[in-house]
Amino acid sequence: MFSRIYFLIFLLAASAIGQQVTLPLPRLLTIMPMGGQAGQNVEVTITGENIEDVTELTFSTPQITAKPVTGTTNKFTVSIAAGAPLGVHDARVLSRLGVSSVRAFSVSQLPEVVRTKANNTLETAMPITVGSICNATMTKRAVDYYSFQGVKDQTVAVDCAAVGIDSRLTPVLILADGKGADLKVNRTGGMIDFTPPADGTYIIKVNDLTYQGGERHFYRLALQKSPAQPQPQTQMVSAMSWPPADLPPTANVNETEPNNKDAQRITLPCDIAGSFFPAADVDTYEFTAKKGETWWVEVASERLGLNTDPFVLVQQVKDGKLTDVAELYDIAPPMKVTSNGYSYDGPPYDAGSPDVNGKFGVKEDGTYRLQVRDLFGGTRSDPHAIYRLIVRQATPDFSLAAWAVHMTLRNGDRASLSKPMSLRQGDARAFEVVVQRRDGFDGEINISMENLPKGVSAAGLRIGKGKTYGHLIVTADEKAPCGFSLAKIIGKAVIDGKELTRPVRLASMEWPVKDAKGDIPAPRLMADVPVSVTDSEQAPLSISAAEDKVYEAKAGETFKIPLKLTWRNEFNGTSIKVKAYGEGFSGIKEFDIPLKATTHEAVIDLAALKITPGDYTFAFQSLGICKYRYNPAAVPLAEAQQKEAETTLAAAAAEAKKVAATDAEAAKKAAEKQKQAEAAMTAATSKMKSVTTTANPTDTVEILISQPIRVSVKAAGATTASK
Amino acid sequence: MLGKAFIFLGLVTMSLAAEPLSFVRDVQPILTKAGCNAGACHAKAVTGQRGFRLSVLGFEPEEDYEAIVKQGKGRRVFPPAPEESLIVTKGAAIVPHTGGKQIEPGSESYQTLVRWIAEGMPYVQPNEPKLSAILVEPARVTMKAKTAQQLKVTARYSDGSSRDVTKLSLFEANDTAMASASGEGLVKTSDIPGTVAIMVRFGGSVSVCSVSVPLGAPVDVMPPEKNFIDHHVLANLKQIGIPPSPICDDSTFLRRVSLDIGGRLPTLEETKTFLADRSPDKRDKAVEALLSSPDYADYFANKWTALLKNQRSENADITANFAFHAWMRDNLLANTPYDQIVRQILASTGTIVSNPPVAWYKRVKEPTTQVEDVAQLFLGVRMQCAQCHHHPFERWTQAEYFQMAAFFSQIGRKPTAIAGEDLIFHKRGIAQTEHRKTRVMLKPAGLGEPPLDIAPDDDPRLVLADWMSRKTNPFFAKALVNRYWKHFFKRGLIEPEDDLRDTNPPTNPELLDALAKHFLDSNYDLKSLVRVITQSHTYQLSAMPNEHNAIDRQAFSHFYPKRMTAEVLLDSIDMVTASKTDFADLPPGTRAISLPDNSYTRASPFLKVFGRPDNTSVCECERVQSASLAQSLHLMNASDVKAKLTANNGRAEQLTKSELPEPKRIRELYLAAFSREPTADEVRIAETHLLKPRNDADGKALDSQRAKRNGYEDLLWALLNTKEFLFNH
Repeated sequence: MFSRIYFLIFLLAASAIGQQVTLPLPRLLTIMPMGGQAGQNVEVTITGENIEDVTELTFSTPQITAKPVTGTTNKFTVSIAAGAPLGVHDARVLSRLGVSSVRAFSVSQLPEVVRTKANNTLETAMPITVGSICNATMTKRAVDYYSFQGVKDQTVAVDCAAVGIDSRLTPVLILADGKGADLKVNRTGGMIDFTPPADGTYIIKVNDLTYQGGERHFYRLALQKSPAQPQPQTQMVSAMSWPPADLPPTANVNETEPNNKDAQRITLPCDIAGSFFPAADVDTYEFTAKKGETWWVEVASERLGLNTDPFVLVQQVKDGKLTDVAELYDIAPPMKVTSNGYSYDGPPYDAGSPDVNGKFGVKEDGTYRLQVRDLFGGTRSDPHAIYRLIVRQATPDFSLAAWAVHMTLRNGDRASLSKPMSLRQGDARAFEVVVQRRDGFDGEINISMENLPKGVSAAGLRIGKGKTYGHLIVTADEKAPCGFSLAKIIGKAVIDGKELTRPVRLASMEWPVKDAKGDIPAPRLMADVPVSVTDSEQAPLSISAAEDKVYEAKAGETFKIPLKLTWRNEFNGTSIKVKAYGEGFSGIKEFDIPLKATTHEAVIDLAALKITPGDYTFAFQSLGICKYRYNPAAVPLAEAQQKEAETTLAAAAAEAKKVAATDAEAAKKAAEKQKQAEAAMTAATSKMKSVTTTANPTDTVEILISQPIRVSVKAAGATTASK
Repeated sequence: MLGKAFIFLGLVTMSLAAEPLSFVRDVQPILTKAGCNAGACHAKAVTGQRGFRLSVLGFEPEEDYEAIVKQGKGRRVFPPAPEESLIVTKGAAIVPHTGGKQIEPGSESYQTLVRWIAEGMPYVQPNEPKLSAILVEPARVTMKAKTAQQLKVTARYSDGSSRDVTKLSLFEANDTAMASASGEGLVKTSDIPGTVAIMVRFGGSVSVCSVSVPLGAPVDVMPPEKNFIDHHVLANLKQIGIPPSPICDDSTFLRRVSLDIGGRLPTLEETKTFLADRSPDKRDKAVEALLSSPDYADYFANKWTALLKNQRSENADITANFAFHAWMRDNLLANTPYDQIVRQILASTGTIVSNPPVAWYKRVKEPTTQVEDVAQLFLGVRMQCAQCHHHPFERWTQAEYFQMAAFFSQIGRKPTAIAGEDLIFHKRGIAQTEHRKTRVMLKPAGLGEPPLDIAPDDDPRLVLADWMSRKTNPFFAKALVNRYWKHFFKRGLIEPEDDLRDTNPPTNPELLDALAKHFLDSNYDLKSLVRVITQSHTYQLSAMPNEHNAIDRQAFSHFYPKRMTAEVLLDSIDMVTASKTDFADLPPGTRAISLPDNSYTRASPFLKVFGRPDNTSVCECERVQSASLAQSLHLMNASDVKAKLTANNGRAEQLTKSELPEPKRIRELYLAAFSREPTADEVRIAETHLLKPRNDADGKALDSQRAKRNGYEDLLWALLNTKEFLFNH
């Protein structure tokens, strides 16, 4: 079934015995403020994990640049070009371990402010102006208060961006009168349009639905003149399959009500913009079709970022009667998404969608009807619940997305961690690449990467005919120099004799999720594909074929591959259990490699795998627990700093003692200096303690991947050159 | 032995000549009357008693006949010696019978049973007429207190014949404090005036005798009629001779209406302003101010979310529960019409965060529970019994139960990333549910309505919501107005408030109809309903009874005092002591009436002791409003209450430090606690108490400030422990 890493018994109590899950990777967690106005400079403060020695803050658009603020390690001056695209961009930092995970950074047209002091009461409400955005962080168990001057009959729109900009906040917006009495409320992420009944002060209250707070609960509160658009947001993973290539930005036909019962006439093919409005809306379209035709129907609504569940019913109209032709429901996920049960049984990414992409065949000439409904729309009356309906002749195509392979730990951790493509020297990392196939395309897709840093290579393990996913192995040479690039992942397939190239969207977790029971994993698509390699650390184990060549094998025979292993860390246990990724090879029988073995001969029964002749690439995969020391190089540095602080303190103390009796003024200064030295000493000691602690060997569970292995399988009876 | 049998048979033969017996017509009523087929006896679910199982109250005569005559290898009947039949000897306790003696040997019932066995146990007689109805005489009667009246029950049959079945009928009063009914149909009234219904059952039919017990006192002085409520209440009072109490004073009104609408005491400022206001419509304005305040929404959301089972069983439920509670509160704040609120709950789809009423489907997962909860909560109809058998007090059959369930048959669920939480959608298809017994697929139908053909694309729940909110629906509006009436008056026009049925008539039917009409005419406007109730003079009558009406329990001749609910009481204590209770996860200052779910009850001994419900039931009765020793002890001694009395910067400290003269400080305290001025006596007693010197635990004299603070703490403690404080009156 899944060629996934299987759960290992010895990981049972991973959290209980303090095991670390996966080697530390750099993660950018917060940027404050989370955006700025186009054409302005803004000073931001960042926080993250595993991000020492940050050298750069970069963005997914070159129109935003940043320079470190001198004398700080976590502040940058961000310059947003006047022409920077409005919307949400990805920000990330380059640090000792390479490129970090991304964090949303928004560019707006409005002046922006940052909430700087507590505003948790009516009395301390922060005044804001209409036509501005306020960046703030929610306080736990509190309500943030803002005030503004409303003008009679001038409608304002209040909108709080949170979920769509990577925040953990589920915002509640309340518009209240000057005394704080609630007038209008929105708790479902929507906008409040409010028309002041009189000139005066009005209050906006913001809180989390369950009054959570802290630095991960940030938000951007926009107060604008109505009408206004909701603030832009990042894309969910389901949006990987939208839009189809070459789709015009707007539809050429609009839905026209009333069309619940009296159908709107259309001709096929069509591209229609409609809305699920009002509640329980049914949009019915009528057209003629000819026997033998096959039409493909695609509806996008959820993939536009809406909470909808479109459903399409096609019926034939004959003799005044309607006969069902097709019911079209959801777009299935290409890989089974993990359930929320105790065990991990799939990736926590859903590239499927409640939207529709299906077909119907026409069995006789005649009139047909197509109904579109929102299965979530029975009681919701929201004109923003829009959709786009496309009915077309088969246009075979495909959309792709990729994400880092996650560990099959249970206990709720599920390792739903953001995993940036930041490689260590000698690293090999696996990514799952999924495909949404369009209009009957079922051919092979070859995955590859472009524009990688020096010393980094990628091998796409082909997505086989009719298959919904494959793998991508990204490998860093053990001597790869420190590097960073914006790469591309692409999929190629031949359709109707023409080669089509499609981008692979990369998905990642917004936050490291420690307990998936209480903290739901939130994945999203990333804007681009940043890749880095660090020379600061090396992978605990590298596995590769003994020789860098295409091995040859004969179908139906047993095939032996000599492996080379480089062990750089201590591992627990006596051996690692090895399986494989890659079309044709994912079913190999699990085998053991003893720890510390520098060579091993893998034996593969091609007959059992039923491998047919052809060229294959696969990779071995395993799971191991290694002793890992985080940044041990920091220890001697911290030690030196501590010694220096100690010397400075001793000198300051001696000086203070010396001048104490003689010169009152000098004594004061010396005492001050001594105090500073004491503070520096405390800081150095504390740092020393923390770097020593993290540098202690920690049991760390890691996914182990071999370098890709290429093999050419010949038909039985052909000459085999290499064995 | 043999001789005896012959003699007996001889007797049987003599009377047999008159009329041959049948199981359905003659035997089944005996078994029912004797209680053999009661739920606790042989109608016990699945097993019955010792393998002998009868249908509940004999609603399935064919099954019962089978059980008696054929099952157990026919050992329950012995035609050669009918009186030796197990069914006879057990029923008459001639042989040991766990259920005791239910049929007197030799009695008419006994003889009928024996004769029926002797006659060969016919199920029915050829062309036997069917029972079409029962008639109770008198159907309405006015009785004086402490008098008796014999009822007569006549069974009418399909062939036009009838017979007296009084002795075989069952009688039950809906308010046993007002009247009792003997097994023979003798009704005896107590000294409580009002209306009481005697339910009569025979052979699967029900009927009712409505007994009016007037007090007969002179009704000379009546308050003026403010609105239609007064018209109907006063007319009833006049008819039954109960003089109403006068309209209450302003302090009482403000406190009462603030507690009932806003779930809180009036603030000191509100009380002072209201008492000083001389405008004639100030009471109406106070009602209006409360209705437009978020307190109204908070208080009623608290009421509704308990009934809608907003229950925390796992930590992860917090998001769903907070969202659902807040959704209810927001809709009440915005005064969304009631039918729309119900519609959005019933037909909810999507995820909880995007559409919070979906949370109801998280809690109420089974279609059977969905039917039962919806029927009881929104229609005031208790359908539970009808799942397994015909409703004993009602006309609802099992088929009607599953027809209602069919509305919920097309609910689609998909798992979400949150454990235990599904997203809900309408699953295309024909809505239908299988009858548990007949295995026939039934289409949806509203109660008492013909089955509906709902297109596979239409969500049947929307059709259900349409039927419920139709103006002609006999239950929907009445159930709500009765529920709200009870909220304000302590007693529903029908009790229990969610048990509307023919056999449980309202005490003032005209008033119930008028309230329902008002509610419908206002397009299900909840605030309008609260407004018309609280602006009525009936609501504003004094709680102090006059010489006649103290005994009245259902005619609303005076206001019936209610103990504050757990949440309101805790908030009121917080307000009077100027201290705050801290609730987990919620911002400091959150009041108990705003608590979103039941998890806080578990964490708060106070709320538990005073009966805050656990949100497991659709019945308001889950909230315990009865008094208990634990409550008294808690108020007097519990550490949380003590901490509030002595809180830093609390009321006692504030009053101690106040610069006002002592009587004014005492006045503030009384205004805060009772919304009224203290009497001269109360001021004097309080002042004397405050002036008392005090010692600490070691017997050392306290300084004057400390002593005074202790004095105020005592005073606060005393006021909080009065009935005047604890009750809304």
